[in-house]
Amino acid sequence: MSYTLRGRIESRLAAGLLPLIAAALLAAGLREWWPLVLALLMLAVGVALDATVFHRFLPYQPGWAAVPLGVLELAAVMGLVRLLGVQAPLRPALALFAAAWLVAQLCAHALFPRAHLTYGEDGGELGRAGHVSSAAILALVASAAGVAWVTAPPTTHLEAGVHRGPLVLDRAQRLVGEPGAIVQGGIVITASNVHVRDLEVVGGEHGIEIKDAENVVIEDVVVRGAELDGISARQSEVTIRDCAIRGLRSQKAQGIDISFALDRAPSRVEDCVVEGGYEGIVAHFAHIRLEGNRVMDTRLRGITVTEMSMGVVEENTVDRALGVGIFCSDYSHCEIAENRVVGTRPDLESDNPTRMGVAIFTYYGAMAALRDNVLVDNPSDVVTLMNAEVRHGRPWFGR
Amino acid sequence: MSEPKRCAIVGGGLAGLTGYATLRHGGLDPAEIDVFGTDPDPAAAWRERAAAISQRRMRSESDGHCAPASFPGLAIREALRRRTPGPLFQTVADRYHPSVETFLEHVAEVRDRSGWSESFRQARIERVQPVVGGFELLGHRAYRHVLLAPGHPGLAVPPELEGDPRVVHAYERHEYAGHVAVIGAGMAAATEWLNALAAGSSVVSVRRREPARRPLNLPRPLFTRRGLAAYHATEPDERVARLREWLAPSYPPGRAWDEPIERALSAGRFRVEPELNGAEQVIAATGFRRGFRHNPLLARLVEDSGLETAGDWIVLAPDSTVPSLTDETRTLALAGVPAQWAFPAADTLAGAKYAARRFARRVERCPTR
Repeated sequence: MSYTLRGRIESRLAAGLLPLIAAALLAAGLREWWPLVLALLMLAVGVALDATVFHRFLPYQPGWAAVPLGVLELAAVMGLVRLLGVQAPLRPALALFAAAWLVAQLCAHALFPRAHLTYGEDGGELGRAGHVSSAAILALVASAAGVAWVTAPPTTHLEAGVHRGPLVLDRAQRLVGEPGAIVQGGIVITASNVHVRDLEVVGGEHGIEIKDAENVVIEDVVVRGAELDGISARQSEVTIRDCAIRGLRSQKAQGIDISFALDRAPSRVEDCVVEGGYEGIVAHFAHIRLEGNRVMDTRLRGITVTEMSMGVVEENTVDRALGVGIFCSDYSHCEIAENRVVGTRPDLESDNPTRMGVAIFTYYGAMAALRDNVLVDNPSDVVTLMNAEVRHGRPWFGR
Repeated sequence: MSEPKRCAIVGGGLAGLTGYATLRHGGLDPAEIDVFGTDPDPAAAWRERAAAISQRRMRSESDGHCAPASFPGLAIREALRRRTPGPLFQTVADRYHPSVETFLEHVAEVRDRSGWSESFRQARIERVQPVVGGFELLGHRAYRHVLLAPGHPGLAVPPELEGDPRVVHAYERHEYAGHVAVIGAGMAAATEWLNALAAGSSVVSVRRREPARRPLNLPRPLFTRRGLAAYHATEPDERVARLREWLAPSYPPGRAWDEPIERALSAGRFRVEPELNGAEQVIAATGFRRGFRHNPLLARLVEDSGLETAGDWIVLAPDSTVPSLTDETRTLALAGVPAQWAFPAADTLAGAKYAARRFARRVERCPTR
């Protein structure tokens, strides 16, 4: 069909109404925002492409073009999902996109021409129905924005300077530091839906301790000088992004410890830098995804996934770990891919032959899938012991 | 005079059927519509012409049909009938062209389902007279809303060949002599080249210009508002020029057309000439007479009502109505080839639907029934 610009956009919005309503219902049912955010992103990307690319370069659009254009839109939507950090699970997100695409095709080729006889001749314009659907979408977006506004946790801004801790966050909230804001004595989070960002945390038993909470986001935070762990999460679901952990005081302190959360949604640690510590990042009995982190100069292991955890360890860099670089143990399932493990040092004081500088070590019934890891200057590259299994390529479990 | 009846369609061909089916889809009862034509079969004239050139496939695509809504198109109907997804794959790639058989079956179905025979009146209308609140059809009653779909005003034969016993028009039944000259360069001419070659004839294509090669009669954007908006904004002189340019001969691209010609060229059985230089048989694939002046009904309407014209066309509003004779209480609209002023591809099935849908919309919105 040869769409007019208005026709493209009206058709897009009208066809997007049903998926948007479905996404809103799904969001309400799941008590999560991602379905609605995803549906809105799909609409926004579609309208943007309509206005800037499709209308200009496609004076006529044959039926088959819906497939490549759909793939292009999918790539743009998923790119935005990643860029904006929308916590949408991949398969349901793809299913929602596919369903919306299918609805759009049915609308454009069957429903709209049937309901509005001049649909084709009008270049996809829907007349009054187009206005109504556009208004309905605006109303839905406004309603969603209103709900988000009303239910959004309050935001507390910490001014520049030192604030005496420990700060206890026992209600949903956003804690945002102004440049130069420092919390002395740690932060304790005991409520779900807490977002902490742009802070430096100095000292404290743990730098940041999260207990029995969901949907906690720690972002752009520097933790230094904690007595024990830099960030400790127990029975919690947490996303930690762009953090820096250093100067831990205890010999046994760990950079980031996520434990006892196998019954929670997966936790994520992304783009953090951990310097020193007993173990850099460790997961016990948890679902985790560790991606793009840099861990260096640890005293026991760089990254550990153990005690029946399930974890993806991807695109991390482990430098100069003592003993072991990446450790998958105790019946855990690990996908270890595209990591770089460099200069793992032998632990000569331990008298333990398994700690003599192993880049990737799988142990005690663990199952690890390895793919495209770069292992440089390590005394041993991969060691497998005690009924552990290593597979090269596909993981045992889906993402 | 009695109260005007609601609707009349003058013309019992495919454009008339499309208009009728669209009105019925809009909720009009057969008793509210009279259709005037010379043959109760709306496909009669088209069938004869298609048979004359041995046409097997339509140039139109899945939505080239007479039903009021584009969906379901002929591809879906054929896929369901044949229980194969082939037509659906073809249509998404713009490769589906319904067979003549499929199209004619569809016409018969629309005719039966729409109640066509209840409204059909076998009569030739020779004059339309504007009256208060409608239009009187000479010899019949008055109607509030009239759709004129008179079809093509006759076959065109070059004047210098009229009366020449060698000449037959492509749309008249004929066989093929050993040496055939085909005049023209459009779809009918291209079909006749292949027909004559298949019959073993040698062919001379007589044409003054090279035909355009495009899938449909016109570039696709001209079938929708995307192209039409600019077209409707043109001044009359420019619009006449554009119509003359667009209505020049064309036929679709593709190997099915080219390969037989290439084989015949290399075998010396096909050549192109600018003039007719003696041939055993001359096939005039020169289409139809053009312009409202060749249609007595339209010519008289223009004369009686002083309608505005430009070149060969009656000036119409974008919705295919005659502006000076249409208001909130009555409608006079044109469909088919005379409606090219509103829709350049008016002589196609898409054009028939364009006029029919706009006519139906006016009828439905008219405050007086």
